[in-house]
Amino acid sequence: MMIEYLITILLIASIYAIFALGLNLEWGFTGLVNFGHVAFLAIGAYTTVLLSLHGVPLFVSVLVGVALAGAFGALLGIPTLKLREDYLAIVTIGFAEIIRLFLLNEEWLTGGPMGVCGYPRPFEDIITGDYNLFMLSVVLSILILCYFMLEKLIKSPWGRVLKSIREDEDVPVSLGKNVFVYKIQSLVLGSMLAGLAGSLLAFYLQYINPRNFMPIETFYAWIAVVLGGSGNNKGTVLGAVILFCFFSATRFTQEYVPLHPTQMGALRIMLIGLLLILFMMYRPEGLFGKKEELML
Amino acid sequence: MLLQLLVNGIVLGSIIALAAIGLSMVYGILKFANFAHGDFLTFGAYLAFVFNVVFGFYFILACAVSVILTAMVGVGCDYAIWRPMRMKNANRVTLIIISIGMALFIRNLIIFMWGADIKRYALPVKRGIEFGTIIITQNQIVEIVVAVACMLLVHYILKKTFIGKAMRALADDIDLAKVSGIDVDRVIRYTWVVGMALASVSGILYGLLANINPNMGWFLLLPMFAATILGGIGNPYGAMAGGIMIGLAQELSTAILPPEYKMAVAFAILIIVLLLRPQGIMGTS
Repeated sequence: MMIEYLITILLIASIYAIFALGLNLEWGFTGLVNFGHVAFLAIGAYTTVLLSLHGVPLFVSVLVGVALAGAFGALLGIPTLKLREDYLAIVTIGFAEIIRLFLLNEEWLTGGPMGVCGYPRPFEDIITGDYNLFMLSVVLSILILCYFMLEKLIKSPWGRVLKSIREDEDVPVSLGKNVFVYKIQSLVLGSMLAGLAGSLLAFYLQYINPRNFMPIETFYAWIAVVLGGSGNNKGTVLGAVILFCFFSATRFTQEYVPLHPTQMGALRIMLIGLLLILFMMYRPEGLFGKKEELML
Repeated sequence: MLLQLLVNGIVLGSIIALAAIGLSMVYGILKFANFAHGDFLTFGAYLAFVFNVVFGFYFILACAVSVILTAMVGVGCDYAIWRPMRMKNANRVTLIIISIGMALFIRNLIIFMWGADIKRYALPVKRGIEFGTIIITQNQIVEIVVAVACMLLVHYILKKTFIGKAMRALADDIDLAKVSGIDVDRVIRYTWVVGMALASVSGILYGLLANINPNMGWFLLLPMFAATILGGIGNPYGAMAGGIMIGLAQELSTAILPPEYKMAVAFAILIIVLLLRPQGIMGTS
């Protein structure tokens, strides 16, 4: 019982770690403010399950979901990334709401508020034991793969250009780099990671609906990145684990606190908001970051 | 039918316009997009609700208390957060993230204190007045009158008072304003007073138009940003015009689109403006 619970927490924390790694690439390494990251999680999840329900092979459905998330990332980057950096924040936050409105209202496609269920999961008929344990091993392998891929990218010349954009955009521009293209690439790759996390989330949940993709999901990723130290992949993964351990801890305390569940939920989000403010004010390098590496 | 939508659009538009004035002024002077602005609007609507329904104040008095308290909270936030960050010369991206943290905090503080369900002011429901085929409710008339009065007041402050002229100077060029001896911190505090007071008024009016709920400001945030950018960042008159245009576009769109997609209309306008004329209709490069 205890061990099953632990597997679930680890599983969901790993999925959100992949989600947050995408944001860390955008914000932590490139300095792009994306307040609508959850949109790409939703696009990945819905594309995967809807295609697989219509008979497309599972693996292909995941790939299309990831690709579509990336394509939308590029579409949002084009009107905003040549202008002031805060336009991306405004446009992404709006886009995420519109995706959610679309999922809620286009019942013919998305099932509306009822969502989608009964879709296939990978190797469902072969796995006889604990499916979540199998899934944890798959998700962990993907997480490790993403982590090492990102580390390799960041240490490459491409990654150094991203970091220089974050620190001072004029420097890469004066070296003749097309900053716009690098920003788009970062946004596309970050969105693809979110799309991948979305597919995995759908497999874990077995039933998805628009309530799984509320705006607050974006800020779970933000707090994971900011806690771990922006621009620190290891910190981001740790941040996601800390976040979900904290969530399950507060769920246990629910019985002992004389508060309504709505109030407990509100208190949790208040704490996330407060932590965002305090970390950005007093410790922008996060719990594990190096101050000299991050100039804000 | 179309005439009715036009009336509804002007009412919604004037509410968006009031909120967008403050957003645009802060954006122009402090140089950052304040994502908490919508939630301050909600906060103002709830304060009026608490004084009106819980403490039993007359509605007008409850509104006055809400406007004053919201403005005070705005100034308090400047002392606690924005001013220290100005001293540190903080990057404006940092300020955006702080403002979204603040937005989450305020909205959930409201849910924590007063619950997530819909609230209404303790006011008698009055019948609408029929003008031929269209119906205008008394609330709508009140909303238009209050909004126009507020806009005239803003115009007076900006054109006739010293502090208003200083605000315009700051939005133009903050360094030039500093060397000509303007007390920047003081002007910024007044900017918050004006912006937050208008946000509170706009929240109360929106609460009268629809209802009071914790997400009301969140749903107006995108239209407000669209109005601000459409009118040119830092231009209060542009924000007024932009707000009316966004409100009209949102209401008129319901003639051909499902009403659930009103927000998508604001989003579409925002994208078109960013692509074609990012400085806004009234801005110069």
